[in-house]
Amino acid sequence: MPPLLAEIAQLVVNGVMAGTILAVPAIGLTAIYAVLRFPNFALASHATIGAFAGYIANVKLGLPILPSVGLAFLAAGAVGVATDEVVLKQFRPAGFITTAIASIALTIALENIVRFAFGNELRGYALPIERDWRFGSIRVGPQQVQNLAVAAAAMVMLFSFLAFTRTGKAMRAVADNPMLASIKGINADMISRLVNFVGMGLAGLGGMLIGLDTTIDPLTGFRSILSVFAAAVVGGLGSIPGAVVGALTVGVGEELCLLFLSPDYRSAVGFVAILLVLTLRPRGILGQRAY
Amino acid sequence: MMRVHRMTTSRRDFVKGAGALVLVGLAPAIVHGQGATIQLGVLTPLTGAGGFDGPRMLKAMKAVIDEVNASGGVSGRQFELVVEDDETNPEAAVRAARKLIDVTKVPAIMGTWASAVTTAVAPLCWESRTFLTTVSGADSITKLPHQGYLIRTQPNNYLQAAKHAEFIASMGVKRCYIMSIQAPFSQPTQERATEVLKQKGSQMVGGLIYDKDKTTYRSEVDQALKTNPDCIYLNGYAPDVTILLRDLYRADYKGLRFAQSYAVTSKVLESLPVEVTEGVITVQPSADIGSPAYDLAKKRLGIAEPDSYETQATDWASLVVLSIAKAKMATGTAIRDNVRKISQGNGTKVYSAVEGLKLLAQGKEINYEGASGPCDFTDIGDIIDCKFRYNKISGGKPSLLKVA
Repeated sequence: MPPLLAEIAQLVVNGVMAGTILAVPAIGLTAIYAVLRFPNFALASHATIGAFAGYIANVKLGLPILPSVGLAFLAAGAVGVATDEVVLKQFRPAGFITTAIASIALTIALENIVRFAFGNELRGYALPIERDWRFGSIRVGPQQVQNLAVAAAAMVMLFSFLAFTRTGKAMRAVADNPMLASIKGINADMISRLVNFVGMGLAGLGGMLIGLDTTIDPLTGFRSILSVFAAAVVGGLGSIPGAVVGALTVGVGEELCLLFLSPDYRSAVGFVAILLVLTLRPRGILGQRAY
Repeated sequence: MMRVHRMTTSRRDFVKGAGALVLVGLAPAIVHGQGATIQLGVLTPLTGAGGFDGPRMLKAMKAVIDEVNASGGVSGRQFELVVEDDETNPEAAVRAARKLIDVTKVPAIMGTWASAVTTAVAPLCWESRTFLTTVSGADSITKLPHQGYLIRTQPNNYLQAAKHAEFIASMGVKRCYIMSIQAPFSQPTQERATEVLKQKGSQMVGGLIYDKDKTTYRSEVDQALKTNPDCIYLNGYAPDVTILLRDLYRADYKGLRFAQSYAVTSKVLESLPVEVTEGVITVQPSADIGSPAYDLAKKRLGIAEPDSYETQATDWASLVVLSIAKAKMATGTAIRDNVRKISQGNGTKVYSAVEGLKLLAQGKEINYEGASGPCDFTDIGDIIDCKFRYNKISGGKPSLLKVA
């Protein structure tokens, strides 16, 4: 393979890996937006909470990675339901902007609770680091492949849930037309709890996947929230397949830009993508239909 | 029943009161001339981010002052430290500095730690002709128009980059690559290290500045490895250097990895598998552990290994006391004009304030050699040379490679 082509291939591979992990919390953000109609920035701290729940399961309780990942999902989901019930729900009648700002305040509060409990230092999962596999000139990490598999499995499960179960269909109905859904007797409160559980659970899962590849600290979620938000907006805020497409676009875009730009501009790519999409196609790549 | 008195002040009372106020205001100046205590200001972070270093620096200064007082002080005059907490916060620091300058009227303030604090306090000092000593590292600090009223014992970025590059070249590295986090120090460090490597017969084959807050640096690592370096200088902070070390391990990089100690902390070492950090070399400014001044500081403080901050604080107190003794005057300007006369040049080398005071009393010239280093200053108040401690990580623990 010519060197330039090999480089592009490597960047695309890296981008797909990064994008897939980004997609998990991005789906969470977009699903919550689809049903509750506000961008819940508290996703950042829930990603951190998931990462720390997984850490407790893996390092303190000695569980293997897969059950720990499951626990990260459950813990972040449960905290998500609780915080929404206690905090954000009260703000929703005040409107979209107020609730979004409240979610920022909530995320800072939760992040500091994690900091209070665990301190600021970096922590790592009990996981050996393996050397990369090499396919010709392309490098792929075994851990990344495992993360990719977990992320893909989570997405398949979510899509099946939305497509084939009654509750999943009810969720889509509320997202599409809350008025009609309520006339049909769908309990909107129950659906909002459910979407918070699933959305924040996915955030927690994403937080742990990020941590598996790196280390965790109370800022784990906060560091990635801008890319997650970019992914959701680019794909079309409110569209679940859109979040996946957006995450892959942002992930691959951030990597490919390295061909022309210095790496310190990498984060700018997400914002340029938001700008372009909002200018040229305000509804996002896949529009705003939930599913 | 309580009676309410009308508050009346006669003209005579007023004149009496005003006279008393004037006397009180003049008091320090008068007692100054009569051999009373000389008050020195300490402005150091006892709380906030610097709360770990501040109290230890204070202890080191106090130990020197106690020793000087026990030996009789300067011309029979004792010293007293007036301590304020800068809270590692520029606003609190400015308030505290104002108090030291306007109320206590100290000739010197010692101990600012954070660069933001020093940058805020320095103008108050040079405008009021108060001498300031600091550990803040930002290059910009000594470039302020401080007219000589500021010295720092901490190596600045420029000196650090040069020393690091010298060390890397001395390890036989031929092709070095530098990966820096996006920060004010990145560009200057890259430029200076490139320059020095070239002078030493080595080469900087490339460098990049990466974005912080990324979850992976695989592509950055690929860019670095394309240049086939035998050393990678990881010039970042703990969260990103951790990820870089992982990614370099995954990419099977076998060359030297070099980083600042603050980026490879004991917590970082705990969080990473041993094989990932094996062989990493870390660097930090060091106390001059071979110097007799260092041995004296150890005894004075009663601790086995005083660190860079404790030894720098030892040196500030010593330099200020010796400058006052040399000038025979306790003003900020006198300290400014004399600090280089007692810290560098051809005088007899002395390793403590007490030793220096004896020779000064005999009318001899001295050259104070400190516990933190030789304490020789450039015109703008930077140290010319200092020692660095190089550690090699093995089995997840740092072990001393050398101090040079």
